[in-house]
Amino acid sequence: MATISQSLSKADAQTARGRLRLSPGLLTALPVLIFLALAFAAPLLAVLGYSFMPEGTFDFTFPPTLENYFAIFSGSYYISFAKSLGLALATVALLMLICWPIAYGMAKLFGRWANLMTLAVVIPLFVSENIRLFGWVLFLIKGGVFLGGLKAWLGIDAESMLYDVPAIILGLVYVYLPFTLFPMVLGISMVSREVTEAAFDMGASRWQVFREIELPLAMPGILIGGLLTFILSLGSLAESKILGGQAVIMIADEIETAFTFGQNWPLGSALSVILILFSGTLVLTLLNWVDLDRILGRGGND
Amino acid sequence: MQFDRRSLLRYSAAAGALGLAGPLASPAFAAREKELNILCWEGYNSDEVLDPFRRRTSGDISAESGTSDPDMINKLRAGEVNVWDVINVNQPWARDEMWPEGLINPLPKERFEPFFAEMMAPFNENYKWCYSEDGANLLGIIQRFGPFNFVVNTDKVSRATAEDEGFNLFNEASNAGRFGILTYDNWNIYHMCIGAGLDPFVPHSEAEIAAFEKVARAWFKGAKLKTDDLVAMNLALINGEIDLYLTGGTYTASPARLDGETNIRGITPKKGPLAGGKGGITWVEVTSVVNNPQVSPLAYDFLEYVHEPDACHAVAFAEGTYNPVTQMGNPKVFEKFSSEELDAIQWDSLEEELSNTVDYQINPDYDVMDKIYNEAKREA
Repeated sequence: MATISQSLSKADAQTARGRLRLSPGLLTALPVLIFLALAFAAPLLAVLGYSFMPEGTFDFTFPPTLENYFAIFSGSYYISFAKSLGLALATVALLMLICWPIAYGMAKLFGRWANLMTLAVVIPLFVSENIRLFGWVLFLIKGGVFLGGLKAWLGIDAESMLYDVPAIILGLVYVYLPFTLFPMVLGISMVSREVTEAAFDMGASRWQVFREIELPLAMPGILIGGLLTFILSLGSLAESKILGGQAVIMIADEIETAFTFGQNWPLGSALSVILILFSGTLVLTLLNWVDLDRILGRGGND
Repeated sequence: MQFDRRSLLRYSAAAGALGLAGPLASPAFAAREKELNILCWEGYNSDEVLDPFRRRTSGDISAESGTSDPDMINKLRAGEVNVWDVINVNQPWARDEMWPEGLINPLPKERFEPFFAEMMAPFNENYKWCYSEDGANLLGIIQRFGPFNFVVNTDKVSRATAEDEGFNLFNEASNAGRFGILTYDNWNIYHMCIGAGLDPFVPHSEAEIAAFEKVARAWFKGAKLKTDDLVAMNLALINGEIDLYLTGGTYTASPARLDGETNIRGITPKKGPLAGGKGGITWVEVTSVVNNPQVSPLAYDFLEYVHEPDACHAVAFAEGTYNPVTQMGNPKVFEKFSSEELDAIQWDSLEEELSNTVDYQINPDYDVMDKIYNEAKREA
């Protein structure tokens, strides 16, 4: 038996290899595969390669070294990583609190007004992020719309909140709100009315329904939204630069500095590799928890 | 013709292969006589500068502004020599980095050297940063320049005090919390050296590097505002949030001055630790032709065009920031500037300020100081 099954599987493998060679699917996918290899994998591999080159070099002709990674771990880059991480976590936490009632309303209560709400959130996305952030600068700067108005109308002379952590968080929350909101709306719309009604009928309190029914069922949307926002905030630059001055040096700022002013591509590459590894591990771990098919409504679970 | 699934696949593959090969093959066939790509500091990419040249040549002229000298040069190093025809960066880079690395072409001397005779002093006599070290090759032309040190609100700190005290103003404990740092990273480093009593353009001992570190950390801790946005910095100066900032000069103060805020003034210290006891630094842009294998002939025409009086004025007063141009030594160029524009670029003190400065050069200890600088900024 063993011999027969072995020879069968060998034959299967040969057929599979033959199919692989001739498969029209593979042939038609080839341009996309080549494009992805050139446009996605190659730059990442280049970054990975540079991260093992000696400090301040511009090509791959040197023997690989770990000196850039040692420099990062022995220096104070942890401050930028920690601050970026802290700001990203604060942004996600605030957006969860802000977006839940809005998303709940859009999914369950607003009816056709939800479309108007969607438009109101989407339309600002057509304006460049930097322009929107500069709008906030004009609003918040001393003598600007808000503080100038306070002084002219109420005689209150307040200090500008720009160029500090709260302003950066405001910018991050403002810019990344749609990235949390829409997956959350999708998640909440997966919670069927019958289930919550059944829970209420069985005597569950509002809090219990929220904690034990709505939150777990909407979790895929919440996780996707949170993850998107977290990754984008972690790698953000414009908010801290425009609204925060240089009060906080984000990790993306360190990478840009290494590549430009620092003229140190290997160091910038090593910082990028660490950031990519960190974000990638987080994404893969969380995506393992979430059933993407289910959230996209293609599920076989139902 | 029979057209079945098999032939569709075959033709698609052929079309795909052609599509992929097309961009690679195109340089071999393309003539770039009507195309010009310029990599520059902001200003040269404005329509005021480019439109007259576009009309004249009917060319497809595009320009992109960079965020720093190294950033622009890195683009060439990364293989974009095939893309750009003209590059505009500050003075040491052409002679010390781009020329030795084969990134730029020499200019024909007979065509471009006569322009120097009409420039203002000290640029009118074989300005050394335009030539290769052996003097044999002309590497670029010069146009925008300016002393670039620090900026004060003269209602709070008088020009005389600022010029006499120089960068020591930022060392005084009483000024902590009253100044800003315009984080043009690789330029702050030079002024922090001066603040530590060092010439940034010579090799430094360990003790001198330690002195630099002390100043870098103290200034970042003492700064009330740190941003790389010059408009925000000028607004803070006008609003009274700060009284002075480094790094700055004509380039950053001029937009506020043209808006009537003439109490915002770029300062060049009268004395300091630089060669000859000078206290400040002048930046001069050198514009070169890129060593593009298919370089556009329009690159050379463009360098000639920017010497015309109207073009000179457009370059000096392009959008954003305003700067003097070396061609103002030519009366036909000078008469293009109004008295308000001359006041915005501090024409009244320009000659005196230039005499108190040295040329911007590359700092031999830049790598070490850059690391310290970034640590100080991060840990402040």
